Amino acid sequence: MKITKFKSTAILLVLCTLFIPFSLFAQSANNGSSVWIWALNNIFLVLAILVTLGFLGTIMKLIFDFIELQKLRLMKELGVEKEIVVEEMKAPLWKRIYEGAWNIVPIGEEKNIDLGHDYDGIRELDNKLPPWWLALMYGSIVFAAVYLYYYHWSSNDWSSIQEYEIAMEEAQVEKENYLLKQADGVNENTVTAKLDEASLLAGKDIYMTLCLPCHGAEGQGVVGPNLTDDYWIHGGSMPDIFKIIKYGAPEKGMISWNSQLKPSSMQNVASYIFSLKGTNPANPKAQEGELYVPSEVTENPTNSEEQKDNIN
Amino acid sequence: MSNSETFKYDDKIVRNFAIATAIWGLVGMVVGLYIALQLIFPALNFTAETSFGRLRPLHTNAVIFAFVGNGIFMGVYYSLQRLLKARMFSDILSKFNFWGWQTIILLAAITLPLGITSSHEYAELEWPIDLLIALVWISFGINMFGTILKRRENHLYVAIWFYIATWVTVTVLHVFNNLVIPVSLTNSIPVFAGVQDALIQWWYGHNAVAFFLTTPYLGLMYYFLPKAANRPVYSYKLSIIHFWGLIFIYIWAGPHHLLYTSLPDWAQSLGTAFSIMLIAPSWGGMLNGLLTLRGAWDRVRTDPILKFMVVAISAYGMATLEGPLLSIKSINAISHFTDWTVAHVHVGTLGWNGMLTFGILYWIIPKLYRTKLHSLKLANTHFWIATLGTLFYTIPLYWAGWTQSLMWAQFEPDGFLTYGNFLETVTQIIPMYSMRAIGGTIYVIGVFIMAYNLWKTAKTGKVENTEVSFPPRVETIAHKGDYWHKWIERRPIQMLLVATVLVLIGGIVEVFPMLMIDKNVPKIASVQPYTPLELEGRDIYISEGCVGCHSQMIRPFRSETERYGDFSKSGEFIYDRPFLWGSKRTGPDLHRIGAKYPDSWHYNHMLDPTSMSPGSIMPAYPWLFKRKINTDYTAAKIRVLQTLNTPYGQNYADIAVQDLEKQAKKIADGLIAGGVDQEELETKQIIALIAYLQRLGTDAKANVIKE
Repeated sequence: MKITKFKSTAILLVLCTLFIPFSLFAQSANNGSSVWIWALNNIFLVLAILVTLGFLGTIMKLIFDFIELQKLRLMKELGVEKEIVVEEMKAPLWKRIYEGAWNIVPIGEEKNIDLGHDYDGIRELDNKLPPWWLALMYGSIVFAAVYLYYYHWSSNDWSSIQEYEIAMEEAQVEKENYLLKQADGVNENTVTAKLDEASLLAGKDIYMTLCLPCHGAEGQGVVGPNLTDDYWIHGGSMPDIFKIIKYGAPEKGMISWNSQLKPSSMQNVASYIFSLKGTNPANPKAQEGELYVPSEVTENPTNSEEQKDNIN
Repeated sequence: MSNSETFKYDDKIVRNFAIATAIWGLVGMVVGLYIALQLIFPALNFTAETSFGRLRPLHTNAVIFAFVGNGIFMGVYYSLQRLLKARMFSDILSKFNFWGWQTIILLAAITLPLGITSSHEYAELEWPIDLLIALVWISFGINMFGTILKRRENHLYVAIWFYIATWVTVTVLHVFNNLVIPVSLTNSIPVFAGVQDALIQWWYGHNAVAFFLTTPYLGLMYYFLPKAANRPVYSYKLSIIHFWGLIFIYIWAGPHHLLYTSLPDWAQSLGTAFSIMLIAPSWGGMLNGLLTLRGAWDRVRTDPILKFMVVAISAYGMATLEGPLLSIKSINAISHFTDWTVAHVHVGTLGWNGMLTFGILYWIIPKLYRTKLHSLKLANTHFWIATLGTLFYTIPLYWAGWTQSLMWAQFEPDGFLTYGNFLETVTQIIPMYSMRAIGGTIYVIGVFIMAYNLWKTAKTGKVENTEVSFPPRVETIAHKGDYWHKWIERRPIQMLLVATVLVLIGGIVEVFPMLMIDKNVPKIASVQPYTPLELEGRDIYISEGCVGCHSQMIRPFRSETERYGDFSKSGEFIYDRPFLWGSKRTGPDLHRIGAKYPDSWHYNHMLDPTSMSPGSIMPAYPWLFKRKINTDYTAAKIRVLQTLNTPYGQNYADIAVQDLEKQAKKIADGLIAGGVDQEELETKQIIALIAYLQRLGTDAKANVIKE
């Protein structure tokens, strides 16, 4: 009678495990709530979260077990009987399911399953494979088969590259939707100097972390050119400064910041640099490039195709 | 018992291995602590020989092959003799095994800091040492099988099944991952390139974990745990199923180290599927260990040996559940290249290997010296310190890995990376690195306490070879009702053959299609071989261990292509011998670093990284500005590459050095024109390194590839 109980538990567990991978296919037919759709779309993540919880539970259990053991030790030192303490720790509600899932022969009946082996005094028992473990084994084999089928033979098969392309398309749509609502689309054709305090401070912040190594704390020039004089290699107008920050000039040593700074940030830092003009710091680097004379009219810079090639 | 034979176990060799285990354990862990501190205080990179890139492989090799390696030999030599009721087959081979192994370790400790490395992770040692390893390992095998053949027991106990599987698999792995053509005594070129090299390396790398850190230690667990607990093994059936399941499935899981890389998808999926199937066989070992303690739990609370073993087995269970989870693509996308992997590995090594070794040492030393442990109290203290140390080590690193990974992938709504500057994601986790170093310190203190305790114990006793009597083996015929598996337990050679076939299946199915079918690595017309100067630069990159912190593998993720450029294609690596994809990004990926920064940027950055990236934790490399490029073997390298079908022109080797000098001059002239002031600049190693870095990833960039 005992055995049938164990077997039914085992079968139940196997069935439960089997159903997990099959839910993969429910994806297209599913009409349930959005939570379920999400869960099915992210089935691996959900599984991972579940198992991670189990994993954390194991750690917790281990910690509590050690606390219990310490407690037992203290109890014994204080003279409390061990059996009483152990009795208190039992959880009768779960006990039967728990024992069924393990299917262990009690210590008292161990003699009956002793295999008679003796390897340097080591004996071996003939306990059955724990049903839950067996379920785990069959379940993982089914999972693996379904996984391979799903990714490589079914109509759903997709590659890492397809996954990438989907992500890029989604991101593009998201970005465009966002930009439609924003006015942040500054580029080298539309940029103007923002000389209010907040913009200059924001620009200075960026300057001090990213530009300082080459151009010096005060723009006096180190490896890179002096940014405070009237001589400019790539032009000294606001759009020129913005452009050189955006695209760089790798042959001269200036890198492109296009992928690291957003347009508004580039505008801020360009404005800050613009504001440094004529500050005459100590130890300035010698003049480089050509004398730049600002024209009164609003500048209309030309596009440099050559420099655009350097975008990464 | 009249026909009993009297003989002695060789316990002195066990003692030697035990001492070596403790000493190398200390050394390896102290080096580990040192490199952990270097990540917080880059100033600790004093010289070339003590820089992080060179010391990291020294740490991994020392703890894996010196600490755990000696631990394996200690446990095997002790248990094998007793389980077979026979002295080791040959004392000479035992001694050769011991001294040969220590010589290998010494050679590793000398060559790795000198920058002599093949760069294959956990197989860094160069070919002469590899040959010595093969020789020592094979002599260990002969010694083990000799002992098995002259055994007095009829059947092989489960521990020995694990020893046999370990021996044969490590042999196969070691040979295939070290197939190289020597260029000089200290340099060689692998026969496989790019993706193929990567697959073979991680087939090896993963199974070094499986068959060096896991299966032999499971064997040890099966002997020392029942002995220490004085309890019968829980389930013989479980032993059988989980043993065969484990060795068959483990070998397939290697590609899970290469998820989302340029490795073809089918191989990646096999890696994932088999990793998931590994959970049950791995947990079979854990269950058989923990359930063997049933009825002995009252002793677990007083006996530090059992405590160590319980935590070891629990850590094994956690690590072998986490491993398969990390093999699921969506999780691997987060964990790969971060400290999550480092944390995961250390649950296994500090927890499983470390704690089990400590438990065995506390058990075996008093036995060997025929005395009692000097202090039970100190052993208990060590237990708590080791457990705390492991927690303090791993938890901050998990946190660091998650934090950094999320920062890498975080976008602003306008499509920009929130942390476009990689360094921001590093600075963020430095506090976690500090906590990890504290955890490591705690753990190492524990090992010092153990060393002291064992030393005091040894001083009060003496090692004598144990004398025993046992009747010779009489061939038994199968009894009716015997379990079917008994058949193979009487036949060690058949067991060896079956194990060999089982472990070869996975390797063959995954590796052979990669080598044989060209479709797996689509060619890219614009990808050309490296120039001689770039080749020398690449060898410097390898020597300095740059691959320890920088990957060269941009995964097909938006967050990576945005940060680094187009994702890496398998066809770009066909001239990469060895491959340098890396497994950890302490610094940014470098696959598309070429032509991104000017030469002068690299020049200044290598001289002082903080000058170009304030706050960087990368070491400075001043010696590259003093040491000359060694062109003695340039021609030889070209010739070896030609035999491996790298398309250099005929007789190109003869003019390779001229070409090298020409290219070096051009780079040096450019730097000097830009204001660099250094004599004989064109002969210095930095020039070769710059040449290599500027070439990286540029070939495929040149023309648009869409297939």
